[in-house]
Amino acid sequence: MELIVALGLIAFKVALLIAILLLLPLPLTWLERKIAGRMQQRMGPMRVGWHGLLQPVADGIKLLTKEDHIPAEADRFLFKLAPILALTPPFVVFVAIPFGETVSVLGAEITLYVSNMNVALLFVFAVIGLEVYGVIFGGWAANSKYAVLGSLRTCAQMISYEIPMGFAVIGVVMLAQSMSLLEIVRAQADVWNVVYQPVGFFVFFVAGLAEAQRIPFDLAEAEGDLGAGFHTEYSGIRFAFFMVSEYAIVLLVSVLVVILFFGGWNGMLVPLPPLLWFLLKVAFFVYLFIWFRFTFPRYRYDQLMAIGWKVLLPLSMANIIITGIAFL
Amino acid sequence: MSHARHGVGAWIGWAFFADLVSALALTFGYMFSRSVTMQYPDKEKWLPYPRYRGHHFLTRDDEGEIKCVACELCARICPCDCIEVIPYEDDKGSRHPAKFEIDMARCLFCGLCEDACPADAIALGQQYEFSSFSSRDLVVGREDLLGKPGKARTGGGVVAARLNTEQDVLVETSERRGYNWWRNIRRT
Repeated sequence: MELIVALGLIAFKVALLIAILLLLPLPLTWLERKIAGRMQQRMGPMRVGWHGLLQPVADGIKLLTKEDHIPAEADRFLFKLAPILALTPPFVVFVAIPFGETVSVLGAEITLYVSNMNVALLFVFAVIGLEVYGVIFGGWAANSKYAVLGSLRTCAQMISYEIPMGFAVIGVVMLAQSMSLLEIVRAQADVWNVVYQPVGFFVFFVAGLAEAQRIPFDLAEAEGDLGAGFHTEYSGIRFAFFMVSEYAIVLLVSVLVVILFFGGWNGMLVPLPPLLWFLLKVAFFVYLFIWFRFTFPRYRYDQLMAIGWKVLLPLSMANIIITGIAFL
Repeated sequence: MSHARHGVGAWIGWAFFADLVSALALTFGYMFSRSVTMQYPDKEKWLPYPRYRGHHFLTRDDEGEIKCVACELCARICPCDCIEVIPYEDDKGSRHPAKFEIDMARCLFCGLCEDACPADAIALGQQYEFSSFSSRDLVVGREDLLGKPGKARTGGGVVAARLNTEQDVLVETSERRGYNWWRNIRRT
């Protein structure tokens, strides 16, 4: 009986997580377009619903009803597989992400995470690394110049930035003496990691920007020179999959930054519910992503590589060494 | 890159991304600025300036008689042959158009008819919303032309749009010198 209840609870949590992640692009696209509009002295969407609130729904219906076009020369199997491969890893990662300790619902203590892995951080990085397959397959299968170039760039970018990203969190792991995200957050109850690891935070955040392929590192879908990059040839619902995956990764990087460097659900000064604290911090970082997008121009490809290998990598290694020396 | 960096302070600023931060501050400031968007078909629309060349109109004199003397100079000068005038003589012996048709689908709004007119009878007014599903509907006759709105007097203001989806409409016709497009844009 207890097993059934536990399994049911996990199934419910997973379903809830999937629903939230699938629906998340709706408010996020609206917010992004609104913020973009405000920053450019426009209004953003105004016509569908109150202040354009229903615009993402209209866009979703449009994408669902559009022709699902597959290019004649495409590798049909890979072409169909790629959006799913791009969509799955960001969803899978959230299994390991804690959103808080526990909440009591109807007298029962319910944990705010699906599973508390002791190697959660490793799991997160391993699964996020898989995301590049969707992009590469999508670009390759479409059999189009733009798509191939976009996916090649993404491939190089992802590999280059995964390294400093992985190194940047080692300082955090040293501080918490654990790879469990739950333990890492607990270790930050008094002082947030960003105080001890400002360089680590900087490297992680910049690499996260690159990992999410957002401006200023959105070389993969540089509209100016590559059409739309790796998803040039995609239309309809398959294109929507790529978009959902992009927003899920934006959320994921924000969540990881908050958990690793900004104390997770640990509050500061103002006593708010832990979950609310967590959501506020995540919302701030999501806003930061959007804010960056409409402020900075795109880096050139060689600059991107130079930043990754010549700046972020030495910085993250120096960070590890200095943290290690401080521990000795 | 245009400015040379001088002193230690500038290098510290460079190391901590002072330029990126100032860019972020700029966009953040703009986030709370008023938008310059005119919600045209929904709420408000722009009032053209007096020199705007929109839909033609024909004028009447003080006695209410049409000013046009049907000299056909406008039809002659029209570069796209879109004006057709057929004259007649009334009881008092003066010449007026029996038929005055302008094919708005062909008109290119050059305003030459207005310049050519010896009687100041035809001019290009302020109306610009006359799109149609059929090009036949764009052939406008004499009586319609007499009823069209004339030149704008103030111009540049914002008035209620014809298609009102919401009631609260911004009206700023009182602004004599027109809509100031630059009022929300900071210039440094």
